[in-house]
Amino acid sequence: MTEYAIDIVNVTKRYAEHTAVSDLTLRVPTGSVYGLLGPNGAGKTTTIRMILNIIAPDSGTIHIFGRPSSDSKITERLGYLPEERGLYRKMQVKRVLKFLAELKGVKGSEADVRIDDWLERLSLKTPEKDWGLCKVDELSRGMQQKVQFIGTLLHDPDLVILDEPFSGLDPINAQALKDTVVELKKRGKTVIFSTHLMDNAERLCDSVCIIARGEKVLDGTVTGVKEEHGQRNIALALEGDGMEGIASILRDQSLVKRADDSNRFFEIELVPGGDPQALLRRIVESGASVQRFEMIQPSLHEIFLQKVGVGARAPGAGAWAGGIEEGMTGHG
Amino acid sequence: MAKLWAIIKREYLERVRSKWFVIATLFGPIFFSAIIIVPAWLSSRSGATTDIYNTVILDATGNGFGHRLAVNIAVDTTIPGRMPEVRVIAPSALTQAESLATHQVMQKEKTGYVVVDQQTLAGEAARYAGRNATSIADMAQIKSAIRETILASRLEKVGLDNSRMKEITFIPLDFSTERITEKGRAGSGIASVMFGFAIGFLLYASIVIYGQTIMSGVLEEKTTRVAEVVMSSVPSDTLLAGKVLGVGAVGLTQQIVWIGATYVLLKARAPIMAKLGAPTMSFTLPDISLGAGIIFLLFFLFGFIFYSSLFAAVGSSVNSESEARQAASPLMIMIISTAVFIQPVLLNPTGTMARVLSLVPFSSPIIMPIRMAVIGIPPLELAASLGFLAIGCIVALWLASRIYRVGLLMYGKRPSMREMARWVSYSR
Repeated sequence: MTEYAIDIVNVTKRYAEHTAVSDLTLRVPTGSVYGLLGPNGAGKTTTIRMILNIIAPDSGTIHIFGRPSSDSKITERLGYLPEERGLYRKMQVKRVLKFLAELKGVKGSEADVRIDDWLERLSLKTPEKDWGLCKVDELSRGMQQKVQFIGTLLHDPDLVILDEPFSGLDPINAQALKDTVVELKKRGKTVIFSTHLMDNAERLCDSVCIIARGEKVLDGTVTGVKEEHGQRNIALALEGDGMEGIASILRDQSLVKRADDSNRFFEIELVPGGDPQALLRRIVESGASVQRFEMIQPSLHEIFLQKVGVGARAPGAGAWAGGIEEGMTGHG
Repeated sequence: MAKLWAIIKREYLERVRSKWFVIATLFGPIFFSAIIIVPAWLSSRSGATTDIYNTVILDATGNGFGHRLAVNIAVDTTIPGRMPEVRVIAPSALTQAESLATHQVMQKEKTGYVVVDQQTLAGEAARYAGRNATSIADMAQIKSAIRETILASRLEKVGLDNSRMKEITFIPLDFSTERITEKGRAGSGIASVMFGFAIGFLLYASIVIYGQTIMSGVLEEKTTRVAEVVMSSVPSDTLLAGKVLGVGAVGLTQQIVWIGATYVLLKARAPIMAKLGAPTMSFTLPDISLGAGIIFLLFFLFGFIFYSSLFAAVGSSVNSESEARQAASPLMIMIISTAVFIQPVLLNPTGTMARVLSLVPFSSPIIMPIRMAVIGIPPLELAASLGFLAIGCIVALWLASRIYRVGLLMYGKRPSMREMARWVSYSR
């Protein structure tokens, strides 16, 4: 039982107008980094809230480290970073952090030590300036994000839940977050995060679960998912001009099933039995200058598009790779 | 329990540390002392205002009536400058003298002038004109001085000597009023009404101020998403309870400071009044027994819980300050309409309206303590009032906690009443 940090079995949560999560079963192995992927409104936040016991499922069970999620001792082992972050604006940073720590059962004196330690580690406390003594709203946005992050980890949780942790982070903080996730994993902690940024998920996660419209689409280890759900794709990179000819080749439905067009870079899925060599020949004949032509495993991004239904678009119609983030903002 | 304590502590300390709390807490006693001392000082001017010594007596009697009147107005002739000026004039020159005096009053050299003539000697008429003509106390003083002087001249006419005359006409009457209730003497009537009014005002103000404090606190936690973080650590009920208790403790702290300071001020009132040059009246505070004090406290706590839990529910269901103000208007109307009834209830504390209002939970926390301050309430009525209020509290808390835990997680448009009713039915 306890090899799973999170064990969700047949969980359903309905609201008046819609079903937020439908018959969801998923298991997160202890000590893994787990990605909960899906467009906004897919039920990620509802799932996370049920794991955190903020809301209760209508049916099904949730166990955390083998104990029911409603067990109040369990909540002390969880750390949560909500999607849209915020702290008490008018409160002194150290007091906010101490408050958050006390809610997780950390004693006041112990909290003080850890707070100073963390503030120094994230350079919010330097010999010149101790930002911990400032009010939250005197800090820059980036600093506030650091503070929020400290609040999530202050009680040294065994399971860290990060809801869309990368949204709104500048590159430096994003890197710091990735480093921390890696470090947490090394220390045997379990990290689960929800995101719609497949790049980060692919690089950081051991396992993923893709959910859409409240239902699980697929789950498993990242390697397993790739092997099971993706054909071998072709990565194509071009140089210089001569794009016009390429476009017509990629629209040829007898050869190309779908193509993800990123202007100079294409990820191409052939129709079943399609010959990569035939494709290469036609591209070369079209006069395009090929920089790279490689058989690759599909990216998580590609699998995601395929499985969540956006893949229904015409092959080669070429959406910008980042389009998924834009196209899927809804209300969740 | 430790977590509830952490929430209470945060709510309490963050608010008590704020500038506004310090200002409001210090301002309270100043405000109350102004309420208590200024009217008392004004009303105590009945015997002696400094203005009255600056009047002019236009004496057209021709027999020295003016000088005697001046002595009677002054009361104490040994203090220089405390004697009205007397101008003896011929009846024919009266018009001219009056216009001069009028001019002097307009120039603020004089406060006013009294005209005494033959009619006055006959005990029929006298006139006064001046800036303080509306001061009931001043006019009463002058009028009684004129009466005394007329009486003295009449007694003189029948041949009474001066010392006997003083003896007969000197009547330094101090008319004090005291209220009697079922329980016996209960301090002066005015003091009771003032006390009742102060209690009502205090309860009203703290419910409005701290109810809205809770509402905006909840709204802040919702909009900053702090609520989600807290709710991942403690149940929403604990957060709500911690908030109500923490902010309630802030309100209680402020009231203790206010009441304590007012008490000290009342004790120190005599010396302050003396410094202001006003003689002290007897001003006994109504006797508040320990039992009554505890009942007051219960009414405050229950009333506070009743309203603040509803304010919290409103705060959790909306997304901005302006929406909150709108959504809170039914609550505000309940409180304000209660405040409107304070005066009628004080005037008729045993009437049907007063009794009904002290049974309804939304008005009883304000109305009942006021009635308690002015009359004795039968224990049964008191128990019924507290009982209904306690039931009201439980219902309000139950409703609020259910709206609160759903509302805090619902962003987007403001819910309709129907949607909120549905939230109440959600399991969690």
